[in-house]
Amino acid sequence: MEGIRSGAVSAHHNYMISGMLRPGFLVGDPGSAKGFYLLADFLLPGENTPRISGRFFDERGDMLLELTWNRLMLDPADCLYRPTPYGFHLSKSSGEIILETTTRRFPNGYITSFSGRLYDEKGVLKLDQEGSSARLVGNDSIMLTAPYQGCFGKEKKNA
Amino acid sequence: MLKRNRYMDRGTCLVWVFGDYADYFQNRVTLQLIAKGKALASELGTRVGVVVLGEDIGQYVMEYVAHGADVIYAADNNALKDYDVELFTAVAASWVEIFRPEIFLAGATAFGRELFPRIAKRLRTGLSADCVALEIDRETGAFVQTTPAFGGDLLADVVTPVMRPQMATVHPGIFRELPHDPFALAELIHPPLPNLPERKIEVVRRRKEKARRASLTDAGVVIVGGKGVGSRANFDKLFQLAELLGGEVGATRPAVNAGWAGEERLLGQTGKSVRPRLLITIGTSGALQYTAGIRGSETVIAVNRDHSAPIFGLADLGIVGDADRILSLLIEELNRRL
Amino acid sequence: MHIAVCIKQVPDVAAVRIDRERMTIVREGVQNIINPSDYQALSLALALRAGLGGTLTVLTMGPPQSEEALFEAIAAGADRGVLLTDPCFAGADTLATSHVLARAISRLEPLPSVVFCGNNTTDSDTGHVGPQVAEELGLPQVCGIFEVQPESLQTLLAKRVRDGYLETIRAACPVLFTVKGVSEPVLLPGLGSLQSAFSAGSIVRWGRNELDLTMDETGLTGSATRVWRLRAAPHRTKGEILTGQAHDLVKEILKRLEAMSLVEEEQIHG
Repeated sequence: MEGIRSGAVSAHHNYMISGMLRPGFLVGDPGSAKGFYLLADFLLPGENTPRISGRFFDERGDMLLELTWNRLMLDPADCLYRPTPYGFHLSKSSGEIILETTTRRFPNGYITSFSGRLYDEKGVLKLDQEGSSARLVGNDSIMLTAPYQGCFGKEKKNA
Repeated sequence: MLKRNRYMDRGTCLVWVFGDYADYFQNRVTLQLIAKGKALASELGTRVGVVVLGEDIGQYVMEYVAHGADVIYAADNNALKDYDVELFTAVAASWVEIFRPEIFLAGATAFGRELFPRIAKRLRTGLSADCVALEIDRETGAFVQTTPAFGGDLLADVVTPVMRPQMATVHPGIFRELPHDPFALAELIHPPLPNLPERKIEVVRRRKEKARRASLTDAGVVIVGGKGVGSRANFDKLFQLAELLGGEVGATRPAVNAGWAGEERLLGQTGKSVRPRLLITIGTSGALQYTAGIRGSETVIAVNRDHSAPIFGLADLGIVGDADRILSLLIEELNRRL
Repeated sequence: MHIAVCIKQVPDVAAVRIDRERMTIVREGVQNIINPSDYQALSLALALRAGLGGTLTVLTMGPPQSEEALFEAIAAGADRGVLLTDPCFAGADTLATSHVLARAISRLEPLPSVVFCGNNTTDSDTGHVGPQVAEELGLPQVCGIFEVQPESLQTLLAKRVRDGYLETIRAACPVLFTVKGVSEPVLLPGLGSLQSAFSAGSIVRWGRNELDLTMDETGLTGSATRVWRLRAAPHRTKGEILTGQAHDLVKEILKRLEAMSLVEEEQIHG
């Protein structure tokens, strides 16, 4: 049926992305050594902070930074990571926003939303700002309904 | 790689519940219906789905998933921000036409009672009101909706033999909700929205109702006095008790006739109907004219001197004793504690 | 302004007895009355008409003797009555009932700007008919109002209590209201008169033919629901009945209140 969008939703935590709740999603391959990826990991009950990882580029395809589990691991472009009361804020040295996460907490669960713009290593737009939330561009994302079990680039040889 | 989860085992979802999230943490009827709907669905070999309409509804979607929903049909749209019967009818009816559920349930809340007749009419299907039991008849497979008739003394078993979906509003407090399961996963579906009608009804003011006159029907606690209360002075103690418990006072016909309470407090066939969480009925014998107005109460405590009074037949706790004495002691004890 | 009010004659339920052995309703000697919330609807309609002028039409569907309810309404000030009666209307559920009422209202001239219904009847108590008439007529609905005032030529302000809130609602005409909780509904027989009620032409009688309805659309055949069986409501058995010293009995009451979190549990010290 056309026009019907569907996916999974969790009782515990979801990301609000492209106008839908998703328990976790992945764009690109965290196992690649150099390529773009964005991993918004599936969280289990008991966990209370969203886990974001990714390798982000600017619109020219130059690498900006690599983030692993909310921590800035590589920062060749001298970007700024700043925690906020609701998540974190990533910006370029020029002050331009790269990605911001906002987590809203309810009595029995929480929802994380994004704002910002992300590009891949070819300078192709992968995450776009749409009003006050973000939308994935293209349809190469994978829904996660369990925590990510794969490896990250550097660990690949051990996998 | 990822294991396939159960939610992915796509199947039909033929039992639907309307997600009435107004006053969510108090009003549990939607959760009760998800639990009942899930039981019905498993008998029918299908799944239970919840329709959630509004703006910024993520929290409620997740609550319904935690309480057992297999599928969520959601529209998160600014145009649906506040409840509106015509808008919600347009969306729900169009989705029924896409997915064709067999059963569609809503809580008999103020909004459910207003919305469901309209959806049923648009779909030209049957609707039973304020059901107190729902079951699949084992012999015929019929979906039997039991609703009180004639003031609650009789029960009517209603079926919708041909038309679909089979729709019912259900009395709050009848079924038990499933416990909150944070591990639960469900399927989330965003069906397309139909052309939405414009809003023709506008709530211009909304404030907490303080006037005693009208809030009786919405009170969570109701204290009722009958002839057995004995005197005006004793009846005034009902107001003290109501105050202590944050409730309202109702009266039977004989108490109103005695001038102890105004006509606006009259409960029963010729007066108001109440559906509180707790009703304490004092010095009332339990005549049908009166009990018809209190049948929706979740818990009934009755105090009467006569142990054979019919009121005890519908009380969860019956106290055989002197109304005045019990009232005075109860007020004294509550004053001490609160 | 043309105002229509749908009313129903119901047995005075206070007087109805149920024969639990035969599972029948004993109606002997029981008076018929205008359903209480319909009566309230009529009182609001009369008050609104008194302010705005215009015509007030009262409709009822039922057996021929339902005409009595129309007489009563006209005596209180309604201008005319429409009796919707036909043997094939019998046994209708709310779907079929609302169909006949909506068809009749759509035949009124001019089309009513405001339609009033009672919120619910004392005999079947579904509360469905008002919203279903509104749906068929394509009107917006405001349910459960206890007061309505004109705001401008085309808009009305209505009040209702919903979920513990007093709401003031603006509705543009045409609109359908259902009414409940009017504290002191008054019909003043002085406004109209019994004479006008009985004068020729004040009441019309429409059946299936006048309304161009097929058999399939009315009565039991036009209904989507069937009453499968009627049975006696089981008496609650979960309750316990306690006797004893007043102090102990009050303790039992308090235990229940604690269980419902209405009072805090007594602190135990030491």
